[in-house]
Amino acid sequence: MDLAAQLLVNTLQIGSVYVLFALGLTLIFGVMKIVNFAHGEFFSLAALVVAVLMPVLAPALGLPLWVDFLIALAAAIGAVLVLGTLTYWIGFERYLRDLVGSFILSVGLILFLQGVFVEIFTATPRPVEPIVTGTISIFGGRITAQRLLIVALAITFTAMLYLVLQRTKLGKALRAVAEDREAAMLQGIRYRSISFYGWLIGVSMAGLAGALIAPLTVSQPAIGGDYLIKAFIIIIIGGLGSIPGAIFGGLLVALIESIFGYYYDLTIATIIMFVLVMVFLLVRPQGLMGHVER
Amino acid sequence: MSNAKWADVIGWALLAVLLVLALTSGDTYTLKVVLWISLNILAAAALRFVMLTGELNIATAAFWGVGAYVAAILTAWYKLPFFLSLLIGGLAPMLLSVLFGYVTLRTKGPYFMLISFAFTEVLRLIYTQTESIGGNSGMIGIYPPRWLDPYYSAIVVAIVAALLAVFFWLERGAFGKLLKAIQNNDAVTESVGIDVLKMKVICLAVASFAAGVGGALFAHANRVISPGDFSFLVAVYALAYVKIGGETQFSGAIIGAVLLTLLNQYVIAFGHYEHLFFGGAIVVAMLVLPNGLMGLFERVAIAFGGTRENAAPAARGGH
Repeated sequence: MDLAAQLLVNTLQIGSVYVLFALGLTLIFGVMKIVNFAHGEFFSLAALVVAVLMPVLAPALGLPLWVDFLIALAAAIGAVLVLGTLTYWIGFERYLRDLVGSFILSVGLILFLQGVFVEIFTATPRPVEPIVTGTISIFGGRITAQRLLIVALAITFTAMLYLVLQRTKLGKALRAVAEDREAAMLQGIRYRSISFYGWLIGVSMAGLAGALIAPLTVSQPAIGGDYLIKAFIIIIIGGLGSIPGAIFGGLLVALIESIFGYYYDLTIATIIMFVLVMVFLLVRPQGLMGHVER
Repeated sequence: MSNAKWADVIGWALLAVLLVLALTSGDTYTLKVVLWISLNILAAAALRFVMLTGELNIATAAFWGVGAYVAAILTAWYKLPFFLSLLIGGLAPMLLSVLFGYVTLRTKGPYFMLISFAFTEVLRLIYTQTESIGGNSGMIGIYPPRWLDPYYSAIVVAIVAALLAVFFWLERGAFGKLLKAIQNNDAVTESVGIDVLKMKVICLAVASFAAGVGGALFAHANRVISPGDFSFLVAVYALAYVKIGGETQFSGAIIGAVLLTLLNQYVIAFGHYEHLFFGGAIVVAMLVLPNGLMGLFERVAIAFGGTRENAAPAARGGH
């Protein structure tokens, strides 16, 4: 029983970050109809900014560590927004709804940004001091207070995105565009500006995931790449463009990873996930909550 | 002659030049460059063949890798004849692609693209975890027969040209028209009694055979292979050749591969800036040349009084 609780707690802590990362990817797909292969680079940038700033901020400001972390997080999202705006203006704006063109562009960006990140941040792995210490037990499953804080933040950000999409005018416009671009444009929604906002929100989700991961791991420029393949599996399971699908898929992938990672190893877990996706495709090619593509 | 025919002439002329260089040049460096150009042409042509149905098959990289590993095991361990292992190196990924395609080609567009990406990366993970084939460090000592060594580049160019001729013949014939019909509207194609899934699987199988042979030739040219050689980047580079050459033309793959491989020879000198420059070059080319060099060529031809004849729709994955 304790083991089951522990595995569920592990699922939650892995899954909450996967969900954030995959939400950004699926939102960008929904609005722009492109797959952002460079999503991991926004993740890496945020993780690196946090990992570089945390050791600098603590002695300079003398504030509690969690305040430092929030400042670093804000700076990371700022950096992601700047990079997001630049990449949108220079490139992605011209490749809206062009799957192949945007694929090459985003992979070109991966190669380019990897080089830039190594120049700026070097390839040295950067650990971050724990923000809070101690361990908490939930129904017999143990989790460090640090990880619990991260999970809580991730859930908060997910809920915020959900509220923005459901309640605000921008959210409604984003969903309308994702569902039927032409009908949305006939209602007077400006597709180009909405897709820009969708892109910025999407890459910020990747940035948030990266910033939250930084205190739990060692950051280096290639860190985002590891998340990409799992995010793809998540959004194939959940259905491209589906927000609930990404949440469900993220938790399912995390569950598989924590169970098979516990009994075997992480590589086996990834292979199992892929086999599952293949079986899944035989039964339901459009994903769990996706619509049939026309 | 129409623009399209001119484009074909340029493509085949480039292949002829490669063959002549491979046969006559005594310079090791030239021979190496000719070899890499030919292999890149083959990868680009294999990727483009599936693009005729409108799908972006990133698993081209995976089948390239399967061909390389299978052929390497056959010659290095079992001492099978080189040409036999080339053939099996093509057939093994072809069979695998039939299984893979039967499941995944029910999906299309972004789903197929992502699943083929995941397949490629999962295979790479499996290589790294399989100690018997060298795990992360890979396999060494994969040699072509000694008598063949001086002619290796020429053999590669000849095999690549032969496979390209098959692609060309298939694309121009009834099968190619069918693939383009599937790209334009698969529902209509299905409605006139054509088994779309079967046709797409056959198309993938043909392309995967070529990719597997390419991988086998690569393994024997490189002498060593490791999982890192078969990441999704193989398909990305192939796509860059196709896009920068111009995907509407058969020769686009050839011209793109020739130019980018030559460019890469200079970029390698930048050391660890290699990726940065190559990535930058791809991005700039995508922004400046939306229809590739063939598109530019066509525009120039039209400006000089030619007509727009080959208006084949561009392969697309979106809907």
